[in-house]
Amino acid sequence: MSAGLKLVLLGAQALTVVSAILVAFHPNILYASVSLLATFAGVAVLFVYAGADFLAGVQVVVYVGGVTILILFAVMLTQWLYEMRLRDVGVKLLMPCILGVLFFSSLFKVLGGLAAWVLARPPEGLEKFAALPKTEPIGEALLGAYLLPFEAVTVLLLGALVGAVWLARPK
Amino acid sequence: MGANSAAFAQSLQTWIGAGPLWLWALVSAAAVIFLLALPFGGLATYAERKISADFQDRIGPNRVGPWGLFQIFADLVKMLAKEDFIPKGADRFLFNLAPALVVIGACGAFAVLPLGRQLIGADVNIGILYLFAITTVIAPGLLLGSWGSQNKWSLLGGMRAAAQIVSYEIPVALSILPVVLISGTLQVGLIVDQQGWSWASSAAGTPHFWNLFHNPFCFLSAFLLFVGGLAETNRIPFDLPEAESELVSGFNTEFSGIRFGLYALGEFCDVFVMSAMVTALYLGGWQIPFITLEQFLFPIPSGLIALIQFTVFLLKTLFLVFVVMWLRWTLPRLRVDQLMGLCWKGLVPLALFCVFGTAVWMWVFGGRSIAQLIAGFGG
Repeated sequence: MSAGLKLVLLGAQALTVVSAILVAFHPNILYASVSLLATFAGVAVLFVYAGADFLAGVQVVVYVGGVTILILFAVMLTQWLYEMRLRDVGVKLLMPCILGVLFFSSLFKVLGGLAAWVLARPPEGLEKFAALPKTEPIGEALLGAYLLPFEAVTVLLLGALVGAVWLARPK
Repeated sequence: MGANSAAFAQSLQTWIGAGPLWLWALVSAAAVIFLLALPFGGLATYAERKISADFQDRIGPNRVGPWGLFQIFADLVKMLAKEDFIPKGADRFLFNLAPALVVIGACGAFAVLPLGRQLIGADVNIGILYLFAITTVIAPGLLLGSWGSQNKWSLLGGMRAAAQIVSYEIPVALSILPVVLISGTLQVGLIVDQQGWSWASSAAGTPHFWNLFHNPFCFLSAFLLFVGGLAETNRIPFDLPEAESELVSGFNTEFSGIRFGLYALGEFCDVFVMSAMVTALYLGGWQIPFITLEQFLFPIPSGLIALIQFTVFLLKTLFLVFVVMWLRWTLPRLRVDQLMGLCWKGLVPLALFCVFGTAVWMWVFGGRSIAQLIAGFGG
């Protein structure tokens, strides 16, 4: 990887992490949702670097163009947006700490195992793998090996769609 | 521009003989904006005013330069020189961010437009998905800008724009799918290649023709894509977000000077991108009917081929841009409920029907187009 590409990767990583921290800690909910936009965009760039071109495209379509808009709509319906400050009233420490440590240690274990699996492959094979277009394999996996889960999810989405229409119907 | 932006950047590097590759990649990206987007934006404002004038039996701009052609530069200078005004109580950060997002969305799409076999900025294998993805960035831009203005007209316009764009993305995506079914790829260059016509070769793909005439479902789907694109670019009859008679100027009410200029540039570029998308997917891109430039009667130099292909693509696209402007003086504006009704009860079911119909056609006729069937029966 050339120096310029590495620089862009570092920039994308910084953008993702910093904007994610802003989402969690910014006192103004509107700015928190705007920085969520930056997080989604940063994740899309990380997908590109991981060789997952199709996922990067879908990430932008679904999250940047869709989910963010819905979140912004919901946020803009909030009253006294600029005066409101988000703050946790009762500071709880014990349970969040235990759950956080548990969650991150399990995440670390899973991702660490994945990284070890990846690193065990020969590097030249990996490079070839990363350069492959991912659209076709994803399509074949969805309509082949994972057809049943895929269909189950589509039924779930259909249910959500019908529910939305029922909620929004003229009374 | 070279074979693609990476190769172009490389040739720039070898030509100048210095500097890192990424710098030249940035230069070639900037070239897209300054050589394509800006001139088109300028010419489009002029063409819009001239064509509108023709439709209304007026003269239009005629004072600055020959046929008023220098009006473009006068407008540009005016926008640059105008006071950059931010209303009191506006959210400065969002107000500044919004025009940038709109321009990123519109100009980013130019990277994958197939202006010619050798003139694609980056012929990536998720081309159409990229095109579709990068233009969705415009919607949050419009919404945030309208919120940042702290103006009720702006906010109403921005809300309408976002709702409209998010809704019409669905029929647009669905009416792209038949082409993907036919060509089996998302790569824009390959899709245009497959719409060529060749007498000589006897490959499985000949004689083939524009996707518009591949099968009846595709013919319908092309129109759905155009109508959906019209709504996504907020053009009449779908210009509710700007509706002058109700909302002053909609989401860009409070924007002045170069910020308004960026909004206008983004909008015109978006119209160009939408027309180019229809051209590339359904109207054969740079292909000329019945002619294959590479196998012509006499050999044509490759530079000339690139030039001819660029001209053909531009002619088709600009014709569609003209149709967009033509519709402006032909159709009245829709109401909000009619807009949503058209999308969800009209375009989405029709687009689904086209996807399903194309799939059945591909299965029944083994992927052959109408032209191939006729040629097959003839010979």
